[in-house]
Amino acid sequence: MAGSEGQAAEREVPRWDPLVRLTHWGIAAAVLLNGLITEEGGQVHVWIGYAAFAMLALRLVWGAIGTGPARFSAFPPSLSAARAHVADILSSRRRTHRSHNPLGALMAYALWGTLAVVTVTGIAMAGSPLAPRAGDDVRHERVAVAGDHGEEDDEHEGAEDEAGETLEEVHEAAANLLLLLAALHVGGVALESRVSGRNLVRPMVKGS
Amino acid sequence: MPWRLPYRWSTALGGRRATALALILALQAMAAVFFVGDVVADVTFEGVDLHLVLEAVVAFALILGVVFGAFEMRRTLERAERSDTALSAARGAMTDLIETRFAEWGLTPAENEVALLALKGFDVAAIAGLRGAASGTVRAQLARVYAKSGVASRAELLSIFMDDLIAAPVTKTPADAGPAQHHPRGR
Repeated sequence: MAGSEGQAAEREVPRWDPLVRLTHWGIAAAVLLNGLITEEGGQVHVWIGYAAFAMLALRLVWGAIGTGPARFSAFPPSLSAARAHVADILSSRRRTHRSHNPLGALMAYALWGTLAVVTVTGIAMAGSPLAPRAGDDVRHERVAVAGDHGEEDDEHEGAEDEAGETLEEVHEAAANLLLLLAALHVGGVALESRVSGRNLVRPMVKGS
Repeated sequence: MPWRLPYRWSTALGGRRATALALILALQAMAAVFFVGDVVADVTFEGVDLHLVLEAVVAFALILGVVFGAFEMRRTLERAERSDTALSAARGAMTDLIETRFAEWGLTPAENEVALLALKGFDVAAIAGLRGAASGTVRAQLARVYAKSGVASRAELLSIFMDDLIAAPVTKTPADAGPAQHHPRGR
């Protein structure tokens, strides 16, 4: 029957529940806004960063106790599976995956790991979301203090300042990596959709 | 004239309830993170006082709310998924049942198709239109279907399957049940 064939075709791509979709697009928007638009270290930047961290935390909770394709167990990180998937693509074999395909799974973990580094370092620098500039000011004060006393005068201050700078460097490097990974992710989805002839974007928008 | 069910079963993933739950969970998660961030910063800068303890309790409650909300959401989604699965299992079982009966009655391919359309609720004129055949032809084919199955009308034809389904719960192999224990058809 035509109806059941249509349904079988639908099941060829993963079905994403509302929570997966919400956190996905929420994080995508946050990464784009904070990576390209908002003022670095500004109040908006900090609030968006906190929101992104919340989305990530929620998605990770959902990966542990969520349903079906959203769970980590549905897409374990596996290099050998990823290699097999690349071979599938090269030989244009179509295989259905009920969750992320093995290559996409690696990308998901890479994105989450990088986002975790970006948000945690950002939060460590910004301090409380209700007084987001406080951390900044304190840091500038410390820089001034360290400048006054000279680095060898106060080793403790110097060490804290260095820690702050390291945080900032890690934050920026990870943020750039995150943008690069996001671009690769978009490219990968486009390529996979084209090669397999299955629209992978639609389920992330509409669910199935 | 295409014929459709008047409504579609709501699917697990498009459900409004699940979407609303997801939104609430996201808001709760954000609130929890902001609160925890504030509490941690306050502890670092100001030390512990009653105000802070209360804030910590609120933050903890929010986190609990997120986790329990997530469990609730999973239950909602799984329930909806189950009803979808049950429906498609029933659909598959019904198809098996129909195919088995049609084979038993020795319907020709044309009769098979006409009988299926009749079961789905198309009338003679609609079936004729769909098959590009004359109404007389379809009426004659239907008459042969009724004769082979031992019924007098479309309603009775349908009742054979309804009886099979209602007398015994739908299982994966409903066709295994012998015809003897079924509806007393006028043969």
